[in-house]
Amino acid sequence: MKDLFKDVLGIEGVHGVLLFTENGNLSFSQFTAVYQSDENLIKTVDWSVVINELSGITEAEMMFDAGRLYFRKSSFGCLLVVLDDHAPVSMVRLNCEVLMPTLDKQKVGKGFGQLLRKKIF
Amino acid sequence: MLPQVLIVDDDQSWLLLISKELEAYAASFSIRIAYSAEKALALLRQQHIMLVISDLRMPGMDGFDLLAQILENYPDLPVIIVTAYDRPKTKEVVFRSGAAGYLTKPFAKEQLGREITKMLHKKAEGGNLHNVSLETFLQLVEMEQQTCTLQVINKTGKTGGVLFFRDGELINARICDRQGKKAAYEILSWSNVSVSIENACVFSEKIIEGDLQAILLDAMRSKDENEDKARQHTEEAGEAGEAGEAGDFAAEADDSQAFASQAGNSSAETEAEAEDEAQELSDNSSKSGEGEGVNASEKSAESNTELSEGPEEQISVVESIRRRLARVLGNYRGVEDVYTDGTWDALLTESAKIGEVFGFGQLNVIYASKAEKRQYLVVPGEETTIIAITAGASRDRIIGAVS
Repeated sequence: MKDLFKDVLGIEGVHGVLLFTENGNLSFSQFTAVYQSDENLIKTVDWSVVINELSGITEAEMMFDAGRLYFRKSSFGCLLVVLDDHAPVSMVRLNCEVLMPTLDKQKVGKGFGQLLRKKIF
Repeated sequence: MLPQVLIVDDDQSWLLLISKELEAYAASFSIRIAYSAEKALALLRQQHIMLVISDLRMPGMDGFDLLAQILENYPDLPVIIVTAYDRPKTKEVVFRSGAAGYLTKPFAKEQLGREITKMLHKKAEGGNLHNVSLETFLQLVEMEQQTCTLQVINKTGKTGGVLFFRDGELINARICDRQGKKAAYEILSWSNVSVSIENACVFSEKIIEGDLQAILLDAMRSKDENEDKARQHTEEAGEAGEAGEAGDFAAEADDSQAFASQAGNSSAETEAEAEDEAQELSDNSSKSGEGEGVNASEKSAESNTELSEGPEEQISVVESIRRRLARVLGNYRGVEDVYTDGTWDALLTESAKIGEVFGFGQLNVIYASKAEKRQYLVVPGEETTIIAITAGASRDRIIGAVS
């Protein structure tokens, strides 16, 4: 899985990726070494409410004062990319586009387990 | 004047190497170089470029952003994307984004040379005409109801422009980043031209009102006035003993938008100097608060809007956003509608919460694309404002205008 997101995480200004099931369960997250994320704080978010609010939306970008969130939906669930203000968003979009077919082949849950085994072991 | 090809890459050594290698094609085209997309845009605003070759991954504005800007402001200008970042879907995404060509690095100079030549030949697929009477030729285009794009090179001033014809009607004209009637008048006032014919036209909407005959008459009148002024200027200069310095004033008038010294060769040093000048222009443009790609007509629209906004005028949020969009985007037609809609409030609330978790501060705007390819910008405020974006319009440009 880490290999899968290597390119996205390698883009300058990308802090991390989060992968959710269709129901909004966080199934994978990875952040770059330089980014100080509070994993516990992320777990306090009720992501199911967020994902529910994003239903009907295939792609979204949330722009804040000091960063961006790029959201991409597909049949596997949802991908959220955490970016700083200066990250090249179009490169992130392209990388996510490239990732989609691979992720689409996976079934969230069991499939991700298989993918994890395949990639790591 | 040879066709000019602009190559954009942040890798300066690669850029110098490839421009050196392409000197083998010096008889067919000349090379301009830019080390960033921002510098490329500054050059495009000043010079008549016929083809752009751009890297994909660049710091700051990347190849996709540059491509989007070119499609917006120079839709007739083909862009070839070159990249070392070749993934299974990259090519597809690049072509879907509007690129005319795609090459994977590393490549042989012959491969790039072939691509450039192919693109430039397409620009002249209908033939080349030298030392023609532009008026006579345009009347022929009108009579035969041709749909075509004409690259017009002003041999006197060593600059160029483009005329767009659909079914024999002159629908638009472009000189660098200027479009419309004024650009047409300027092109039609050139005396010594060569013309390349492309049998296609990217524009479908008629931007230039009036028929060709009337436009030609106006242009001729303007040309006569310029020549009178030139004669008068030469006489005055002659009287003052400065006739030699005055030179061909008419040519100078023709070239009021022309760029700084251009030797017509592909010396990287010369290009870099010109590029620095272009960069200065870009910096000045930034300092004046104008975004990239905002042309003269847009600036005019901005000042007009500012005049209409009285300090004590009470306007709604929707109206305020509409005015802001008009001010920044000018005549750009990427916005379908602006309205308030409370059904997005919950999404705004949840998004703001996530922003807090990541320490991103205040939420400014959300871009959302729905399955049916509808695109929206959701702007938080006392009332949630929605900007519906036209399908196919540049989201980044409108986001830039709102944020």
